Amino acid sequence: MTHAYDSGNELIAAEQYKIGDLLSRLWDAEETIRAIYSGEADAVVVNSPSGPRVYTLEGADHPYRVMVEQMHEGTVTLDPNRLILYSNPQFAALIGVASESVAGSDFENFLAPADANLFAGLIEAAMAGNHSSGELHLRGANAATIPVRLSVTLLDVAGMQNLCVIASDLREQRRNETILKEERLSRLILEQAAEAIVVIDQQGVIVRRSESANLLARKPVLMEPFDGAFHLTASGIRLDTDRILTAMRVGEEITGVEAQMAHSGGATSALLVSASPLSSQGNELLGCVITLTDITERKRAEEALASQAEELARSNSDLQQFAYSASHDLREPLRQLAVFTELLQSRYQDKLAAEAGLLIEHAVSSAHRMEGLLKDLLAYTQAADAPQGPAAYTDANEVCRKTVATFEAKIAQSGARIDCDPLPVLAIHEVHLTQLFQNLIGNALKYCGPEPPRVHISAERSDGLWKLTVADNGIGIDPAYKNQVFGIFQRLHGGGKYSGSGIGLAICQKIVQRYGGRIWVESELGRGSRFMFTLPEKKNEAR
Amino acid sequence: MKRDNLEQLSLLVVEDSPADVFLVREALKEEGLSCHLKIADDGEKAINILDDVDAGGQDAPNLLLVDLNVPRQNGEHVLERLRRSPRCGKTPVVMMSTSDTAAERKRAFELGATEYFCKPSTLAEFMQLGKLVRVLLEQRYGTAA
Repeated sequence: MTHAYDSGNELIAAEQYKIGDLLSRLWDAEETIRAIYSGEADAVVVNSPSGPRVYTLEGADHPYRVMVEQMHEGTVTLDPNRLILYSNPQFAALIGVASESVAGSDFENFLAPADANLFAGLIEAAMAGNHSSGELHLRGANAATIPVRLSVTLLDVAGMQNLCVIASDLREQRRNETILKEERLSRLILEQAAEAIVVIDQQGVIVRRSESANLLARKPVLMEPFDGAFHLTASGIRLDTDRILTAMRVGEEITGVEAQMAHSGGATSALLVSASPLSSQGNELLGCVITLTDITERKRAEEALASQAEELARSNSDLQQFAYSASHDLREPLRQLAVFTELLQSRYQDKLAAEAGLLIEHAVSSAHRMEGLLKDLLAYTQAADAPQGPAAYTDANEVCRKTVATFEAKIAQSGARIDCDPLPVLAIHEVHLTQLFQNLIGNALKYCGPEPPRVHISAERSDGLWKLTVADNGIGIDPAYKNQVFGIFQRLHGGGKYSGSGIGLAICQKIVQRYGGRIWVESELGRGSRFMFTLPEKKNEAR
Repeated sequence: MKRDNLEQLSLLVVEDSPADVFLVREALKEEGLSCHLKIADDGEKAINILDDVDAGGQDAPNLLLVDLNVPRQNGEHVLERLRRSPRCGKTPVVMMSTSDTAAERKRAFELGATEYFCKPSTLAEFMQLGKLVRVLLEQRYGTAA
């Protein structure tokens, strides 16, 4: 039977009414039989539409049996030991066992073990003469669990105390309850959805809506035409229900279409519109669900972000230009200063005092040093500039091999040994990777101790990054300076012991950061250094 | 100092820095080249001279030394103008600059520079400019010695 009840309680009330009716009819029948058995009456006359009918002992049993056989509920009679004396076909059908196998069995064979105590309680109450009932579970064929309402009544017939158990199937009720719960839940979900969601019918009328839909439309929209509540345009064309439903009919998708919504006051909202069809089982279009995501704020934020990024790019470019001009334009007078000082020396050497030569030498060397610094500063400002063409993958093995080759003379002279593990292919411009290796390997060879330099280059992969390490056995770095060494013109050694301006590691840091990686050093004085840098594993177009 | 008969040749030097003009003279002198020097201290003046040459108002220069970063019209514009000249479009040109970026060098050669001279910061290196000019003049006009 499929009968949709409005609520679980109504169903229970209906079932209980039926059981009450049955019990009263049962009582009547018992009374009649008892009267006939006890000799209080020989026969009972009952008025029926077809005239008065006479019920005798023999005749009274028959309707009783027919009634029990035909009732919708499963019914059994039990002896005081709960042995099934009789089962109607409905009980056998309910538990899915053949009728013949039911009679003679212990009722508990068909009861879910967890409910044994509950059932014992019902029996006890019934034996005490009280009608008792409760919700339990029967155990059917294939261990199926069937929720039922069991009503237990004492049958006291001719001094024999048996029990009548009526089982009403609650499965349909449970199903209805589940459906109701789900229905309530989906209504809640819809109503409380943060996005504006509306369900429209074939005529374009809103039949369901979320609270947010009301807020977006700035009025209640239920049972309103969609086109009246939401005035939408996408790419300059009106996006109305006609267009949406037509799209649904031909199976076209509307997913995240950007649209403008005009409000009555002239204001507009930016929306993302999605629609999915609602079809009957016969595939007839019943309407559709339309989701309207308000992206006005997001758009505004995106625009603000874009303009900030533009501003930042402009100021970066200004700064870059400034650094370039400064370093470039300063070099010219400096170069001239150096050349003219030399010219002075070469022309007037004999006319100057002996010390003058030394002073001129200092002046020239200072000018040359400053020129070197400006050259390095220029190199730093241009270090991370993207070369022409798209960013490419670069085989680090190849670049490392070529870089090591450029140090050939130094390696031969110092007896250095450079070991290179197999390296990955990295998403970096070759020119940048070359600069990294040149600076790091160059430093490893330069800052060596009394032993011949040993350099080891290795790579490992973790968390979507490649980590490359250039380790040496050199003089090491005091950990106090491990961050300072990456600064512009930061040097830890004076007095001309180790040449260089201190720009190399700053350039390395600028390059690595350009690819979203980082560079750092682990070291102790006198125990070598391990310079490490990370680069993203996957191609990451440099900013 | 060498002396030869490249002396009667004239050079157009496009350079705004008097110090560098002085050094150019020194380098030529060092090489024994006492050519006639015409100086334009900005690009516009250089272009005017070329216009005048094309109009027949003056003789064509035999070689140009052009600094890339001169005021008004830069060295690249001067070079472009020269290469379009009917009278002296094929004249050798040495482009000069303090910086030495690959991009600048490439651009200069694309525009038709004959040589690129990165102005050095040592006297000896600067004096090499004289040798370079001699080679170019000899290639083009012969030693006639």
